[in-house]
Amino acid sequence: MNYEKKILLVDDDIDILEQNKILFEAEGYTVETAETSNDGYEKFLTFKPACAVIDLMMEEYDSGFVLAHKLKRHPLGKKMPVYIVTAVANQTGLQFESMTPEEQEWINADDILNKPVEIEEILSRISDFYENQSG
Amino acid sequence: MEDSDHPARILLVDDEDYLRNGVKRILQIEGFEVETAENGAEGIKKGTEFDFDVALLDLKMPDISGIEVLRMIRQARPNTICFMATAYASYETAVEATKLGAEGYILKPFTPDELIHNIEKGLQKRRLILEAERLKADREARLLELAFERSRLNTIINLLADGVLVINQFGEMVYYNPAALRYLDLDVILLAEEILEILPPEVKEIAQRMISKEKFEVMGESVQFKLSSNPDMFVEVTCSPIPDHDKKKIAGIVIVAKNITQFKEIEQLKSQFVSMVSHELKAPVAATIGFLDILLNPKMKLTDDQRSDFLNRSTARLRSLLTMVNDLLDISRIELNTVKREIVKIDLASLVQETVEMMQFEAAKKNITIKFSAGEIPFTIEADRLEIERVITNLMSNAVKYNKTDGEVLVSLKKKGAYIILEIKDTGIGLKPEEKNRLFSEFFRAKNEFTKSIHGTGLGLSIVKKTIDYYSGKIESESEYGKGTTFRVFLPEKILNK
Repeated sequence: MNYEKKILLVDDDIDILEQNKILFEAEGYTVETAETSNDGYEKFLTFKPACAVIDLMMEEYDSGFVLAHKLKRHPLGKKMPVYIVTAVANQTGLQFESMTPEEQEWINADDILNKPVEIEEILSRISDFYENQSG
Repeated sequence: MEDSDHPARILLVDDEDYLRNGVKRILQIEGFEVETAENGAEGIKKGTEFDFDVALLDLKMPDISGIEVLRMIRQARPNTICFMATAYASYETAVEATKLGAEGYILKPFTPDELIHNIEKGLQKRRLILEAERLKADREARLLELAFERSRLNTIINLLADGVLVINQFGEMVYYNPAALRYLDLDVILLAEEILEILPPEVKEIAQRMISKEKFEVMGESVQFKLSSNPDMFVEVTCSPIPDHDKKKIAGIVIVAKNITQFKEIEQLKSQFVSMVSHELKAPVAATIGFLDILLNPKMKLTDDQRSDFLNRSTARLRSLLTMVNDLLDISRIELNTVKREIVKIDLASLVQETVEMMQFEAAKKNITIKFSAGEIPFTIEADRLEIERVITNLMSNAVKYNKTDGEVLVSLKKKGAYIILEIKDTGIGLKPEEKNRLFSEFFRAKNEFTKSIHGTGLGLSIVKKTIDYYSGKIESESEYGKGTTFRVFLPEKILNK
């Protein structure tokens, strides 16, 4: 299945945001960035990306989860991969390994990845996602 | 009375002088101490006043009869052994005297041997009586002590903050204190009630296993859990087996329940803090590595401007990392109370003036005016100069950083009672009501569209607050979102109890 190479990056660290923007642009992506959850949601509605990469800890410890939940509940979001990235996998008291099925269901992100993000990894996940969708 | 270092004391009551003196002599030769009375009245007086070992009473005296003397002495001194001495004895008087507790009759005339024999017998009896008395008194005292000890132990256990519950090998309740009900989620329990089933499942499991063991082992077991009736309460329950008399089998279990809610809260705060610190430390490192990776990546086509921009931003992130580490060390020094302070008199007006001048450069970038006003009176406090300078710098730099372009910072000093008040008022971004509570906590930084380009560690105000607390001062803040914030610092002129 074909998809437009448009990606939304949400992170409250402007340096990280800019680095990822450059890296994705080098891969031929059009990139939109947002520094807050709210801004991220607005940009998602107008920009209609093919993928969203969201930082977990922004305004709150779990801002990324909340935003991912909102995106995945939206008709547009259902059809695209949403990745949460975090540098604090098991430091927040949110232990991902022991997450209950209910919590996983609620968060509903396509994956939780460790920071710093490997661009290649995200790119291959995006293409896998859309291949599975068409198949 | 007779004891090892005192001869036996004997009272002799007789109205006949020759007999009194004769008997007295005989007894003295035998080593007794003898007191005499020449009539019934004197006999009663002496015999009741002092606890003689033996009394020898003439039955027939002109004033009061020997029977009456016997009655009075026995009443007052029940342990004095009394003999009646008489030349004639009727059956009736013998019965009456025996009823009143006389030890026996000595018929007159008597030989010295007869007399001594009777007295010795009496003394032996007296010894037995006194020994029995002593034992009885001892036993009573011990029982009293035991009862007292028991009730004291009960009181102590009842007042214990920890819950104590004892069950026997059949799982029946033997003893508990009120706290046990609270921390084991129980309503009422009765003595000998089978209570395993109503214990919290975590405790029941351990207790059951412990009781079912064939042999006694010195092995306690603990478990931590939240009460099902009150999930905010965290308890730690320790079960320890009680051995039976020959330490082979289990006689029961002592269950001690401790409220560890606060401990758990502190533990959680600690791990939250650690995770916050690691996150805050990791962020600048990750950002720097990100920039360096891009700079080193040959596939990236970067302009010269981009290159120098990335290098500058990397340096800035590393610098902020260093500041943060230093701030963290300072906070821990304040908390551990290992700060080396040199307490001196500080002229606050000139210190504030210096800081204002130092801030001018930063303020000029956003065209911010700093105004400082203080009265003519001296504003001196006793404190460590560097610490106070840091308080002023942190507050003033916040007032500049979080201000708007063309804004103002108004600084003033006032005196109120024994305190100097430093007020720093800005026309900046201000705080949302929900942000105010978190203002002084570590790593809190207001996040909104105005603050995103402002760098900070989120530790400045925490240091300010901790420092002011150390000097027994106070910090207040007033703020309106979009309009500005005012901080008011109260510092005592004289350092208190340090």
